[in-house]
Amino acid sequence: MDAALRAIAEPHRREILRLVSEDELAAGEIASHFELSRPAVSQHLRVLVEAGLLESRRDATRIIYRARPEGLDELREYLEVFWATGLRRLKRAVERDMEDSERASRR
Amino acid sequence: MPAGDDVIEQEIRIAAPPEAVFPFFTDPDKMRRWKGIDHKVDAQPGGIYRVNIDGTHVARGEYVEVSPPHRVTFTWGWEDDGNPVPPGSSTVEITLTPDGDDTIVRLVHRGLPLQAVAPHAVGWRHYLSRLAIAGGGGDPGPDLGPA
Repeated sequence: MDAALRAIAEPHRREILRLVSEDELAAGEIASHFELSRPAVSQHLRVLVEAGLLESRRDATRIIYRARPEGLDELREYLEVFWATGLRRLKRAVERDMEDSERASRR
Repeated sequence: MPAGDDVIEQEIRIAAPPEAVFPFFTDPDKMRRWKGIDHKVDAQPGGIYRVNIDGTHVARGEYVEVSPPHRVTFTWGWEDDGNPVPPGSSTVEITLTPDGDDTIVRLVHRGLPLQAVAPHAVGWRHYLSRLAIAGGGGDPGPDLGPA
């Protein structure tokens, strides 16, 4: 999950994801949208692929990229688990307090 | 996708009145018992909300609304470098509603970048709503594209 979080934190990478979310694009077409060196764009693409946010296929000599939107489902899942676990712990902590104070008041 | 994709909503029922639950969002000694290992909080509007979750990840924001015992709102994000949810970028609203002897705790976390890679979802919503109008016999009007 941390990989996906870090991947989308970078503005160029968010822009790449926007570009390929409409249609799959070759690496060269993606690079033409940026004033970045090709190696820099390739590096961003690699980070996105490794983070599970982008997938690629080879078409003859070109590599075609497209978005893998389920990649961000992981951020949602991460936060849902984060809060669900937190709220369950909250419930236990509060209810233990209540039992303690009831016991104390019976004494 | 349903509306509000960038929102996480959760609810839990707790066998205690809101007055007993509320301090668990504002008092560091009580917060420690359910979330995080180190807390720096100043529970008043504009006051800091900083929770070291696990020694590595630190959540930070500011209290926006502190209305005991029913409502507390704070901004929220991670301090980690390069995180897509930086401090203050999203908002957590906690609402405590009494229900008999219990409290329903509702948590709504807004402003998350859950759609960063799926702007086409906006387009789909636009066209599905037009379809729904047309399907009901109405005229969706000229198509000006997704807003």
